Amino acid sequence: MSATPKLTVSYAPFWHNGSRISKKSCNIFMASLLAVVPGVYQYGVPALGVVALSVGSAMMWEIIMNILTRRPISIGDGNAAVIGMIFAMLLPATAPWWIVVIGTCIAIVIGKHIYGGIGGNPFNPVMLAIAILMLSWGKILDFNAALASYAFNFNAVYPLTLMKSFGASAVGGISLKDLLMGRQIGGIGATCGIGLIAGGIYLMLRGYIRWEIALSFLAGVGVTALCFNKVNPVYAGPGIHLLTGYTLVGAFYLITEDSSSPVNFIPMMIYGAGAGILTVLIRNIGAHVDGVVFAILIANLINPLVDKIRPKTIGEVITHA
Amino acid sequence: MIKRSFFGCMTPKLSYAVVDESYAEPVPVSPKKKIILFFSPTGGDSPQPAFKVGDTVSAGQKLCITDPAVPYMLSSMSGKITDITSMTGIFGKKIISATIAIDDPSQQSVDESFKSIHQAPGLGNAMEFLKCLPGYPGFGVFADKNHPVQTIAVLGMDNDLVSATNQYVVKNNIASVKTGIGVLRQITGVHNVVLIVPPQLVQVAGSSGATLKSVDMAYPSAHPVLIERYLLAQRDKPQNQTTVKSVAFFTAEAVAAIGAAYNTGRIPFEKIITFLSKDGRKRLVSAPVGTPLQDILDAMSETLGDGDRLIVGGPMTGFSVYSADYPVLPDMDTLILQESKTIPEQPDTPCINCGECIRVCPVKVPINMLVRYLEAGQFEVARDQFALFACIECGFCAYVCESRIPILQHIKLAKHTLERL
Repeated sequence: MSATPKLTVSYAPFWHNGSRISKKSCNIFMASLLAVVPGVYQYGVPALGVVALSVGSAMMWEIIMNILTRRPISIGDGNAAVIGMIFAMLLPATAPWWIVVIGTCIAIVIGKHIYGGIGGNPFNPVMLAIAILMLSWGKILDFNAALASYAFNFNAVYPLTLMKSFGASAVGGISLKDLLMGRQIGGIGATCGIGLIAGGIYLMLRGYIRWEIALSFLAGVGVTALCFNKVNPVYAGPGIHLLTGYTLVGAFYLITEDSSSPVNFIPMMIYGAGAGILTVLIRNIGAHVDGVVFAILIANLINPLVDKIRPKTIGEVITHA
Repeated sequence: MIKRSFFGCMTPKLSYAVVDESYAEPVPVSPKKKIILFFSPTGGDSPQPAFKVGDTVSAGQKLCITDPAVPYMLSSMSGKITDITSMTGIFGKKIISATIAIDDPSQQSVDESFKSIHQAPGLGNAMEFLKCLPGYPGFGVFADKNHPVQTIAVLGMDNDLVSATNQYVVKNNIASVKTGIGVLRQITGVHNVVLIVPPQLVQVAGSSGATLKSVDMAYPSAHPVLIERYLLAQRDKPQNQTTVKSVAFFTAEAVAAIGAAYNTGRIPFEKIITFLSKDGRKRLVSAPVGTPLQDILDAMSETLGDGDRLIVGGPMTGFSVYSADYPVLPDMDTLILQESKTIPEQPDTPCINCGECIRVCPVKVPINMLVRYLEAGQFEVARDQFALFACIECGFCAYVCESRIPILQHIKLAKHTLERL
């Protein structure tokens, strides 16, 4: 052979099913638009500004951390953009620019890169950022105050605040259909129930988020709320709990985050249901208006432990030395 | 390449190749100028070949290495040894390669030593002459007296995707398989022979005289480890777990070759190979063991370009070679030519804990944890806590990995490193 071609030599398997992190990020990003676009429509240009700044600054922090830690630029995998997007979904439309930039900084730098970047974070970066912001600048994240300047054609009080302060009777007048259609105040991408559910179903069918976690979370919220409601009607029923606050966005975008969630079936169920139960517990008897943030953070905390419940490996040789 | 299905919430399924009417007769390919034989010494010292450059060999002549533990090779053609080189294969495996410039096809001389004894089949002469038949019959297990063989499993189904070699043999050459099973029963004294076939070949295989078992078409259910576990162990379950029953695996092709050898007195060398070309067409090729792959590519009118990948063995568990100057091996069921632009890229991302691997693993290895330890080089922890050695190396995890981590390679490297310690 005179002209020997240089062959590519690498390891098996030589085929791949074509999945990649950037495709997953792209799908999650697109699905989140189903909830974000109605939010932007409802809150106008300020909401668009928050979303754009959040996505942009998250990507910027990612590049800054890549450069500082001397690692390859990784915004191509889309994970930073998704973090920025989901972070924006939770913010009120009037959030000042600096809170967006600080929030994404916490999410990307503290929540993700300090733990070693994608796949290394024990907590959901967005949840961590929101939790720190809630504790530090609670006023800004108080939807009633933040959205006071808007004139809506519906009751512009955050349903969870009503529920917390005045009990179930105060939210009795809110129809579930209104909540589904986004006729409530809340985060930019957290109010339009129908958009969140559509995006969530799409992501679950495509396998980009695990249905086990999302559905067990919703079931946990629903069942616990129902129990509370049956025991004492002063607590709101499951419908209100499921469609207000961060419940839906939490079920489909937050709690399903790969790195901080388990991978085996039973652990996924425990993790999801546990976070759901905690959510309602915090909402009904805890100090915070919305329990999703801390419920998910606590669930993240137990993730490594519950994920030890795994099926027995077939053919495993166990030696007791 | 089989892509991820749209509905990713379900467990991904990969199906084995099905041999159907679209498979034409194997295209016969003969080596043009030379054949290459590979010997793989296992010992640590440097064993020398018991032949030298310039020796003439006849077809069917046995070539050995001084190390008795090393399998001999039979030259598939007659000719003259022109070159002997040592090289290093995957994971440092030593290979001694002998190149034989072959005689003109009309003047082939044949070694008759097997012909003289083929009327009296026995395990001894089978081990002496038939160890390197196409399909690589696994006579070695019969030498282990501590684990007497209870069952012979004949694999009428290929272990990797793409390959249709053994299915083809069962479909088109069941008579030889039947003869081979008869000979195996006679020479080994093991009467419990199970023929493993895909469901659509059960009818054809019915005449083989062996117990039939059909396996699922979903990869990797035809893996010998899984077959042993699910199909063969079912009958005599837990009570006598202490007695280790040994199963001898033979491919259908090897069994057919054994049958043909004792039937005719002529040792068959033609290896049936499933060839997957750049355009995704599958064809069967029949070439003598030792034929350089370049000759097969020429016969298939395929050209190798820079950056292409030539894969010996299936797409999941095979290995890629550095040059087309690589011979047909007795156990080489598949040859894949992959064009450079279709080779999946390999990014450098860590595990994101998505759990795809966990859902596809046939033996439920906790891969998401395992791979973290393997990447950090902590092989002992991986072995002790995360079932490293339970892995059957099917490659499914790396196939679905979203981060495209070379999980299978990590696992093989870890096993290799630990075994060397």
